Amino acid sequence: MAAVTAAQPRSSKTESYVDNKRKEDIRQANIKAARAVADAVRTSLGPKGMDKMISTANGEVIITNDGATISNKMEVLQPAAKMLVDLSKSQDSAAGDGTTTVVVIASALLKQCLTLLSNGIHPTVISDSLHKASIKAVDVLTAMAVPLELSDRESLIKSASTSLNSKVVSQYSTLLAPLAVDSVLSVVDPAKPDMVDLRDIKIVKKLGGTVDDTQLVKGLVFDKKVSHAAGGPTRMENAKIAVIQFQISPPKTDIEQSIVVSDYTQMDRILKEERNYILGMIKKIKATGCNVLLIQKSILRDAVTDLSLHYLAKAKIMVVKDVEREDIEFITKTLNCLPIANIEHFRVEKLGHADLVEEVSLGDGKIVKVTGIKDMGRTTTVLVRGSNQLVLDEAERSLHDALCVVRCLVSKRFLIAGGGAPEIELSRQLGAWSKVLHGMEGYCVRSFAEALEVIPYTLAENAGLNPIAIVTELRNRHAQGEINAGINVRKGQITNILEENVVQPLLVSTSAITLATECVRMILKIDDIVNVR
Amino acid sequence: MAIEKILKDDASEEKGERARMASFVGAIAITDLVKTTLGPKGMDKILQSTGRGHEVTVTNDGATILKSLHIDNPAAKVLIDISKVQDDEVGDGTTSVVVLAGELLREAEKLVAAKIHPVTIISVYNNVCLFYRLRMASECARNALLQRVVDNKENAGYAFILYYLPNVLGFDKEHFAQLAVDAVMRLKGSTNLEAIQIIKKPGGSLKDSFLDEGFILDKKIGLGQPKRIENAKILVANTAMDTDKVKIYGARVRVDSMSKVAEIEGAEKEKMREKVKKIMAHGINCFVNRQLIYNFPEELFADASILAIEHADFDGIERLALVTGGEIASTFDNPESVKLGHCKLIEEIMIGEDKLIHFSGVEMGQACTVVLRGASHHVLDEAERSLHDALCVLSQTVNDTRVLLGGGWPEMVMAKEVDELARKTPGKKSHAIEAFSRALVAIPTIIADNAGLDSADLVAQLRAEHHKEGCNAGIDVISGSVGDMAELGIAESFKVKQAVLLSAIEAAEMILRVDEIITCAPRKREDRM
Repeated sequence: MAAVTAAQPRSSKTESYVDNKRKEDIRQANIKAARAVADAVRTSLGPKGMDKMISTANGEVIITNDGATISNKMEVLQPAAKMLVDLSKSQDSAAGDGTTTVVVIASALLKQCLTLLSNGIHPTVISDSLHKASIKAVDVLTAMAVPLELSDRESLIKSASTSLNSKVVSQYSTLLAPLAVDSVLSVVDPAKPDMVDLRDIKIVKKLGGTVDDTQLVKGLVFDKKVSHAAGGPTRMENAKIAVIQFQISPPKTDIEQSIVVSDYTQMDRILKEERNYILGMIKKIKATGCNVLLIQKSILRDAVTDLSLHYLAKAKIMVVKDVEREDIEFITKTLNCLPIANIEHFRVEKLGHADLVEEVSLGDGKIVKVTGIKDMGRTTTVLVRGSNQLVLDEAERSLHDALCVVRCLVSKRFLIAGGGAPEIELSRQLGAWSKVLHGMEGYCVRSFAEALEVIPYTLAENAGLNPIAIVTELRNRHAQGEINAGINVRKGQITNILEENVVQPLLVSTSAITLATECVRMILKIDDIVNVR
Repeated sequence: MAIEKILKDDASEEKGERARMASFVGAIAITDLVKTTLGPKGMDKILQSTGRGHEVTVTNDGATILKSLHIDNPAAKVLIDISKVQDDEVGDGTTSVVVLAGELLREAEKLVAAKIHPVTIISVYNNVCLFYRLRMASECARNALLQRVVDNKENAGYAFILYYLPNVLGFDKEHFAQLAVDAVMRLKGSTNLEAIQIIKKPGGSLKDSFLDEGFILDKKIGLGQPKRIENAKILVANTAMDTDKVKIYGARVRVDSMSKVAEIEGAEKEKMREKVKKIMAHGINCFVNRQLIYNFPEELFADASILAIEHADFDGIERLALVTGGEIASTFDNPESVKLGHCKLIEEIMIGEDKLIHFSGVEMGQACTVVLRGASHHVLDEAERSLHDALCVLSQTVNDTRVLLGGGWPEMVMAKEVDELARKTPGKKSHAIEAFSRALVAIPTIIADNAGLDSADLVAQLRAEHHKEGCNAGIDVISGSVGDMAELGIAESFKVKQAVLLSAIEAAEMILRVDEIITCAPRKREDRM
């Protein structure tokens, strides 16, 4: 900041409180706070990364190694630290995986920036060089990438298992990876081949069993019991399913109403009328041949009463009640049917058809499974099992990451090596590039290149290897032209990582680099924190 | 001889030197706070809210920073006000105006210390300002030449935005400049920025932002309804579609049998069906409602294959009505009197992870939507603010096409003229005139400082360059040297510059005139009880 102090020769006494020292302090404080967040998550990077146990304010315990989840639950207050948390979140929404990587890269960049700043380089110069370097980095990564065909199921599974290998559930990756690939591929619409809406994949969690019991269900799964208080059927073949949004219970108006009863005989009559009313509805339903009812939850009144359940049981109609309104779209899409909002509109063409609807007991609870759906929509359900709630939740998060990885590959069909290989190659190429640049830029780009070595370094460190030895050997191998040499954490040595089947989507790597630089540049540009209303 | 207190308890009075000092200090403090955000390479501030949620905003927009500050100093409030007015009037230059006013005051303070009466300073400032304006207008005439260089408006706007977009957008500036210019060009000269909708979606990077013609609504299409409609006739409404509640307090129906209750329920349903029928009688195939649409009417619409969108927010439906040329309806008895909106195509599109509804080929041809993508909410919010500034200025410039060169060029030209004037003026006034020139030079100095350049050296070079006649030199912050602004195509709107100068001088004058500050006793809360 020498230039700045020199440039204010006209300082008067009122100007005395302007000290650039404070600005430097704020920048340093921001950088330190942001790095503190990264320090909390860095040990969870890589296949041998550790997990974190988080106990939330409401007493809930979470065990995870997903960077986005950890940083999200930390409840940081410092603004710059918050930006890092946001960074992890946006990596989650952009690529779904690499949420730890992005934070670790950002932190390494900030560390380098601190040195650059103390050498007296102006923040905007650093920021601009960072931007240039990140553009170059994306080019290098793209050049390294290997194209992929969607029909190449093997490669898809490989990359999904790379993502899963770094999670708590890594021992199940052989099961979960193909499952993730199959479920994503099954929802790809041939009309729009590069769009995948992950909402078309429903993950149902059920406690009990082990992760091994996780399965892909071609059909629907409800984490609900069949209502059989009155002894209704729990298994229905050749099901005709209706999704209804009205209630089978005594009428209720929006205007407040009360029935005035003056004597005993009237009471009898009212009860009879109520029975007739419900019976009338059920007859109409039965007339269409419907034998399975899915009833939407209603806050206004009971979806079904004991009485209506009784009649439904007699009519041999299976009932699943309390379906959430948000789920209706998914259900109707899957069953290829239409929701029915009024008894008058109950028509055959609005029903969905399935070979089998049955209640299955699983562990301590029961679920309802719908299989063999006719003209099924492009949706999939994954039933996740786990021996305890913590494992179950983590399995769901890991599966989500794996799904995202496959989705990335569907939208951008390129693979890149894992195991720190792309980062060290980037570091090497950027280092070489920095020698061609002039002035401050070259200096900054070199620091950027050095910062990228943090990924293989941390990978090795977390795996209990000697990070310095590993990183230097890696650098050496890359200098000899083996661009796919990476850390093989299992064997604890450097091997050709592509041959080891450790691959990840290009999108994850590129978005980690671009998002991390965007965030770092923003933190660098801040020179003051102002408290406002 | 002791006069008892004239003022109430708690009320205070500051006089003469002390009062002046207080307002100088306040105004200069505000200036110093925002001056690091000036220019294309200015820094950002974190605004940390002390209120609920401790929300964090990262910004570089002067008006945003200033209006969220806690301020007690009256002079500082004056500066905040001029910044707000600048924002409302021209939409940009909110930092420049405060910095210029602050620098004028800083110089004035020194003059006052040298025993020059404030009124002298004010009159000089005013005279110089008048002179400055005349010169500026004539410079603009000269800029007819510049107009020819960057002959069509589009290019002028483009270059101009490049200079103006604050630095958060960084190297993606070119992309954004193109976006802004395209959007404003669609407006065809109108300044109705309402037709440009900005949607923020986290994820992706700033480069993925794009401009789309038509309108995008962040809502879902009802179940079982067509997902794609061509030649849509749209009815935009604000009506209760849940249940037509009879809102008579305590209304109650007494019946004596269950079947009658069922009848009433049926009647209620019938009423809703009537309403839906009336709506359908408009011959529409798309219905957008501000309120919820419940399952029952939703199904009726689905049966008639009408696309129904529920719970569109106020802003959403107003804009939609505007761009599709419809009117917001709330009664449906006279189908002929309701104006329907039209568009060529409605379809679902996917941005990031979300599905949105896209209306294309809308009636109001100039309407368009800018979809911003970015790493985090902070980036997005800041990008939106910058884009808004850019759009404001650009639409103003399209109307008043006079532009000045940028990069501190106007300030340097004026400083030179003012200096010459000072030499010709005898007496104390010449000191004040010199001070004015110094305040002007402060602006390029700050721009250079913020970009991490050696401002003392650059400004001296610039001054030397400007001694030649017809010089176009200004500070080129990208390369960090003095460059030819006309060649680089860096320009600023004349309207903005003029507004900056006028309001800055007015504010400075107002603050200079103050010789006493009376703070009223705060109103006691108990009084209201």
